[in-house]
Amino acid sequence: MTRKLPHKEALSRYRPVADRPLPPSAELGEDILRTYHPDYIPDRCVNLTIGPNAGDPCHRQLAEILQSDARIDEADLAAAPEEETDVLVIGGGGAGCAAALEASRAGARVMLATKLRLGDSNTVMAEGGIQASVDKDDTPQMHYDDTLKAAHGQLDRGLAAQMVMDAPDVIRWLIQQGMQFDLDQYGDLISRRAGGSTAPRVLHFRDYTGLEMMRVLREAVFNSDVEIRDYCPAVELLSDQCGHCAGAVLSSLRHYQYGLVKAKAVIIATGGIGRLHLNSFPTSNHFGAVGDGLVLAYRLGAKLRDLDTFQYHPSGLAYPLHLAGTLITEGIRSAGGYLLNAANERFIDELKPRDTVAAAIIRECLEGRGIDAGDGTCGVWLDTPGLELRQPGIIESDFPKLLHLGTKCGIDPRQQPLLIHPTLHYQNGGVAINGEGASTVPGLYCVGEVAGGVHGRNRLMGNSLLDIISFGRRAGVAAAKRSRGATLRQKKIAVEHLSALRRELMLADMPLSHKGPLLFPDYAKFEKDSDYDGLRQSARAAG
Amino acid sequence: MNEYSDSLVTLRINGKDISAPESLSVIQALWYAGYPRVKGVGCLQGVCGSCRVLVRRAGSKQVATELACELLIDEGMDVHFLNYPIAPHHKYQMDDIHSSWEVQAKFHEIFTEAVHCRHCNGCNATCPKNIDVQKGVELAVKGRFSEAGELFVECVMCNLCQTACPESIAPNHVAMFSRRVTAHFHARPSNLINRLEKLRKGGLQVSE
Repeated sequence: MTRKLPHKEALSRYRPVADRPLPPSAELGEDILRTYHPDYIPDRCVNLTIGPNAGDPCHRQLAEILQSDARIDEADLAAAPEEETDVLVIGGGGAGCAAALEASRAGARVMLATKLRLGDSNTVMAEGGIQASVDKDDTPQMHYDDTLKAAHGQLDRGLAAQMVMDAPDVIRWLIQQGMQFDLDQYGDLISRRAGGSTAPRVLHFRDYTGLEMMRVLREAVFNSDVEIRDYCPAVELLSDQCGHCAGAVLSSLRHYQYGLVKAKAVIIATGGIGRLHLNSFPTSNHFGAVGDGLVLAYRLGAKLRDLDTFQYHPSGLAYPLHLAGTLITEGIRSAGGYLLNAANERFIDELKPRDTVAAAIIRECLEGRGIDAGDGTCGVWLDTPGLELRQPGIIESDFPKLLHLGTKCGIDPRQQPLLIHPTLHYQNGGVAINGEGASTVPGLYCVGEVAGGVHGRNRLMGNSLLDIISFGRRAGVAAAKRSRGATLRQKKIAVEHLSALRRELMLADMPLSHKGPLLFPDYAKFEKDSDYDGLRQSARAAG
Repeated sequence: MNEYSDSLVTLRINGKDISAPESLSVIQALWYAGYPRVKGVGCLQGVCGSCRVLVRRAGSKQVATELACELLIDEGMDVHFLNYPIAPHHKYQMDDIHSSWEVQAKFHEIFTEAVHCRHCNGCNATCPKNIDVQKGVELAVKGRFSEAGELFVECVMCNLCQTACPESIAPNHVAMFSRRVTAHFHARPSNLINRLEKLRKGGLQVSE
């Protein structure tokens, strides 16, 4: 174990000081990512054995669920009720709601199925804001260049270019739905600077940007013609005889039974994988973020990309332990907040891209300059009192969510610094899509965090809220258009692709013991809940 | 998950007696004790409003409403989860309100019950975020939507005020209406409009 300063002692040595220049020793070595970022932990990846990405590197824990056996087979569907719709949206976060609203407005019959309640998502927890180049000194080109640079160049350039050009209209659309933004005295949008960007471009509503967005979109969907199926996680996609996507199998947690929804187009918007706790990291993610959409799409033959790269947000709470992983917005650093090690020294330019800042924090901890959180885990200070000294009143006026978090921790962030450590935050890769969100499987669209290619190997703050609305709207319109030409008649719609999956698994000598999608993290003990026995193959086999 | 060094407390959750380390939230305590819990769990950060519970503390007769992800367990506490929040029963389309001059009249057509508020304070008592809900309804009834909406910055739409209201006012949806019309009709940022105009004229391109 490496040395670290006990929490109490570190706290007694801490003094809020307004002026703390960055010491020259904070110069980064070339290899900081390679040496300290969790994406480079040896043996974290395996090569996939089956499916469209066979041979590609993929995180071990993700590979396990991508190559898992299905939860159901044909027999489960014999007595299942059937419904039909034009467009089925799976996922009730920001991307799903934007897609459902636009598909419905384009004239399609739309059903939205969500694992828990409408709005239960990572969107609601996003704090910092949404990027759009609206200031006169900023341009979409600068937005694009920053996105490309943060991504280490490895993104789909067409997708990124389209997204930054969409951005101002995304903001207009959100205001039209009734979303508020922080405005200056003349009614203009106020922006913050994201780490790794060349201009202030992050528009926001306090540190509640995602909450404000989600409650407005949820209200808009409730008031639309979209049919909502809540507490209905999708356990499988349906396919027709050509292998095109033709709907999904939902498992109702209300009625404890499966149901078939046949659809002319399906939009997956199920988000990411934080609750898989990759590399044993805590996470800032919602309870339901266990990669369901990736599993469903992969089984149907959709090509994925960048499955070996994830974002660890630099400022996850490290103390107190029961709140470990909780997000603290990058907005604190945008506003000028510093990071300090146990010697009360700054060790990095706080507005470097997220992957670099996270790696620097991990370096401080590994090299004995961290602070003990109490159980062997380690962190560094987020110097909120210093920020408050430089800009009195800013924490109360701009960061109410942080103050609320402080109350839960018994810490006043204006008086005492917060102990932080990187927290698993975002899935950089995902399903490969085109500009309309279409995957490589006809009839299947994927938008938001489940999709890949937009952010390369590292996402900028504020580009995710932009991504979900930009691609969500486009996929909604495209899916509605596709559904107009299509018909569900005289096609055999089933889960035929599962036979191929099982054949592949057996030929590759892979275990059939893992079931996917997971639906919930293991500590929720869903598999042990007798209420849901009817929704489990294993229970049937055992009985 | 972490190792816990703190002492155990005993409490009752949904009729089950459990003991768990004192630093845990209600949801974490259930998982710690081996009981499954899926419904009524959401963001685990106090912003989604999913994990609404009724709670009575030891030695008290008072029942309060809280969010289970934010509520730390306590010796002798009795907790019950309230699943399935109610769907809203008012329907409106933003596009049906043609100008900002009509907003007040439309509000009273949509939220017909709002004017009947009997100031019973039920909404304020249930709000886990300590919002002055009743004041918000009063302001909205007077047509002061921007002011009403401002009170609800921290609202997570847990629907507890809707459950508590004897007049079926749905105060949280009144608040959302107030906030939405404020943005929809009154937010016209000139920096955004300038940028949209420039884009419309094809003045800004991205070269990949």
